Amino acid sequence: MSEPEPSGQKGHARTKSAVKATRPRSSTKGPLDVDDVPLISPSITSPAVSAPLNVPLAPPAARPLSPNLPPPRQPRMAPLSHHGPRSPGPHPRTPGTTSPNFPRSPALSPAPATPGMRRGPSRPKDFAYLLRPEIYHPLTPLNVPPAFRNQSGKISPDTPIPDLVARGLFRAAAIAATQALTGTGDPAVLPQPEPTDHARIFDLLYTRLACLTLIDCASLAAQEVKALGDLNSPFYFEETPSGGAVHIVPWELRVLNIRLTAMGFGDLRRAIMSFYELAREARANLGDAVAQHDNSAKELWKDRLADLGVRVAGALVEMDDLRGAAEHLSGVKGANGDGEGKMAMSRALLFLRLGDVESARGCVVVGGGGGGDNRAKGDCTVAEKVVLALCDMADGEYGVALRRWEELREETDDEMVGVNTAVCLLYLGRMQEGRALLEGLVGEGRASHTLLFNLTTMYELCTERSKGLKVKLSEKVAAIGEHEKTNADFKL
Amino acid sequence: MSHQRYPSHEVKEPHSVSLKVLRLSRPSLVAQFPLQPPFSSSSTETTHHHRPPIPASLAYSPISKNKSADDANDADTLAGPSDAKPLSSTFTNPDPFILSPILNLPPSFGSAYVGETFSCTLCANHDIPPPIDGGPPLSRKTIRDVRIEAEMKTPAGALTKLDLLPPDHHDDDDKGKQGKTGVDLDPSVYDSSTLQKVLSFDLREEGNHVLAVTVSYYEATEMSGRTRTFRKLYQFICKGSLVVRTKTQSLSKRGPGVKGKRRWVLEAQLENCSEEAMQLERVGLGLERGWICREDLNGWVDQEGKDKPVVKPGEIEQVCFVIDEEQDGDGDGDGDKVAREEGGDGRVGFGVLQIGWRGEMGNRGFLSTGRLGVRVAA
Repeated sequence: MSEPEPSGQKGHARTKSAVKATRPRSSTKGPLDVDDVPLISPSITSPAVSAPLNVPLAPPAARPLSPNLPPPRQPRMAPLSHHGPRSPGPHPRTPGTTSPNFPRSPALSPAPATPGMRRGPSRPKDFAYLLRPEIYHPLTPLNVPPAFRNQSGKISPDTPIPDLVARGLFRAAAIAATQALTGTGDPAVLPQPEPTDHARIFDLLYTRLACLTLIDCASLAAQEVKALGDLNSPFYFEETPSGGAVHIVPWELRVLNIRLTAMGFGDLRRAIMSFYELAREARANLGDAVAQHDNSAKELWKDRLADLGVRVAGALVEMDDLRGAAEHLSGVKGANGDGEGKMAMSRALLFLRLGDVESARGCVVVGGGGGGDNRAKGDCTVAEKVVLALCDMADGEYGVALRRWEELREETDDEMVGVNTAVCLLYLGRMQEGRALLEGLVGEGRASHTLLFNLTTMYELCTERSKGLKVKLSEKVAAIGEHEKTNADFKL
Repeated sequence: MSHQRYPSHEVKEPHSVSLKVLRLSRPSLVAQFPLQPPFSSSSTETTHHHRPPIPASLAYSPISKNKSADDANDADTLAGPSDAKPLSSTFTNPDPFILSPILNLPPSFGSAYVGETFSCTLCANHDIPPPIDGGPPLSRKTIRDVRIEAEMKTPAGALTKLDLLPPDHHDDDDKGKQGKTGVDLDPSVYDSSTLQKVLSFDLREEGNHVLAVTVSYYEATEMSGRTRTFRKLYQFICKGSLVVRTKTQSLSKRGPGVKGKRRWVLEAQLENCSEEAMQLERVGLGLERGWICREDLNGWVDQEGKDKPVVKPGEIEQVCFVIDEEQDGDGDGDGDKVAREEGGDGRVGFGVLQIGWRGEMGNRGFLSTGRLGVRVAA
């Protein structure tokens, strides 16, 4: 499985961005076209119309349309805007694929009077700009341990993408998604979606980006997501029969886009702002669902709202504003029944990270069932005991913590409890026991990044020649059928 | 931590014991970025349910691969285990929150700061190099009586012998008192191919520290035996973490002949010059006899429910105390006491400022200033 090489651009990142980071001019395209030829009669058909349209647009045409441009607050708008006249969108690049979009629906003609939001639903939108090969980076298998490489060599080329994802072959899935998007794969297996088939395009794009983040290539994903441009642009909205506007990009992709965009621009505050924008939409939808007594929609939007709240806290953590994150979380209601316990745990972890061990203990002891001192009653939940054990470790009381972890190991077969017990053992000078414990977990079929990292760290402590042990471990994990790991997972 | 090896002079043959070192800063909570599974891999419509995240996107997954693989096929478990989601086992992971409770060992040495306790683990391993390709198998060696000793050399030049934990303990107690006997390493016996020790040392000085570790052991072959020793040096730099600036001013009524005790106000600025946020846990005065802290003007100290200040790198926290001369029971003699403590320059020392803090994951720090004083008005 090879990936399409980005066409003819090697080397410097800056040159790259000129091509790749081009904002999708699509958001301005429809109205622009209409403005350009305001008097098109519906009877004029594609050959005649598309020719002038495909000529790079005259800059003046862009002026009256500025309201449709995403608001200029995005810092990335500034450096990119001057490319506008030069790169008037995807059309000129892919003339073949775009022609089906013309002729235009007559519904578009009044567009100048009705800015972006209320675009005619009947006109199919063109997403050809997401099908360009130069957006997508080639992926090298070099950072995958041989044990896993051999395994992925055995994948049959006609394995459908969902199966690849399901089997944890995220690299293969990411490559296949690109092949489908760019039409470089086997057309029988990975047919290129029509430029108007946005459901499939976004599906593939999400698969691609999500898989990239799962194989430690989030920075590539952060580059590639730029092809989407500003998801708040009116271009991405579609009118509903009831007169409202719905976003056509799937929710998951929008959430992922926020994180990746923030990574790409190194601006987490922006992510928080974007999460709030999504939250506003979720709230509105929740209101609608309540009004329509649509219970399943209500639950969905409630969950999404709660999810966003927690993600805002996550962005604050990434900004190192732990206090702020804790404050924020105290006002967020968890989803479902287990929400409250999760919130207590989340806040406790925040305080632990901050070093405020007493506040961390307070999160579980006060929040716990009976009130008062739960520890004495012994009716703590597993999560509460976990927090208390972590607190003991933060206090440097590894012996006390070890007893808690060992108790927990009898109650639950949670991987985390096993890993933390082993860490505790190492701090007590009992690494050999910890190592045996971790190897036992691998034998049970666990293989989280942390488990492998800690185990390979112990291997490094055990011998000058740890490489053999690490390779063996990678073979063992590959044999379990665990999803593909990278060399970094085994410190190879 | 850079290290150099000092090969012992008499032996050229590689050592049969290796020494490995890991700084034991606090273990860290692992971050995670939970992701929803791609929609094409789920049969349901996207708008029906908020689905559980892809297990691979979590710091640790709730399901053991082996257990789930028995009945369900892998595809279901990985793509969205809608059925196989026992709440009890997923519950400890607070997804979608970014922090998870699973702990990572320290990935690197990091920075060492004054006021912290430096802790690290030493592992002496039975590590006989394999025979060189094609060469004859090396004669079987037994490694006995392995001992580790560690010393810390501080910038001022002091050499401190460090206690190593856990103390040696053996099943055969008759071998002697702890510390006197080493440990036998035998890879064929479970759990005994490595001798692990943990040490800690309070960092008090800025500058170059050298951790010197000496490993000695008795190497026995079928024919003979010898005692071998090697020493490794690990050098690291300890940086300042907190800059403390103080100022004292008199609050007493001015003028000669004013009766009563004298009073001062002590202000201090604590600047975090490390690269990590610190939460001040305790800022207090260690006063000498004859002085009393009348008022602690910092609301958060020793008060329940008050947030302790978090000082981020480069930030400053200001604290303030009011100090009185202690009054004797009979109300006189104050002047005498102060006079007794005076040096020649009219300065009176009253004590030190002590600052305790917690860093990431509860890492403790503690500093005490030099002796602070006031100028006694003539």
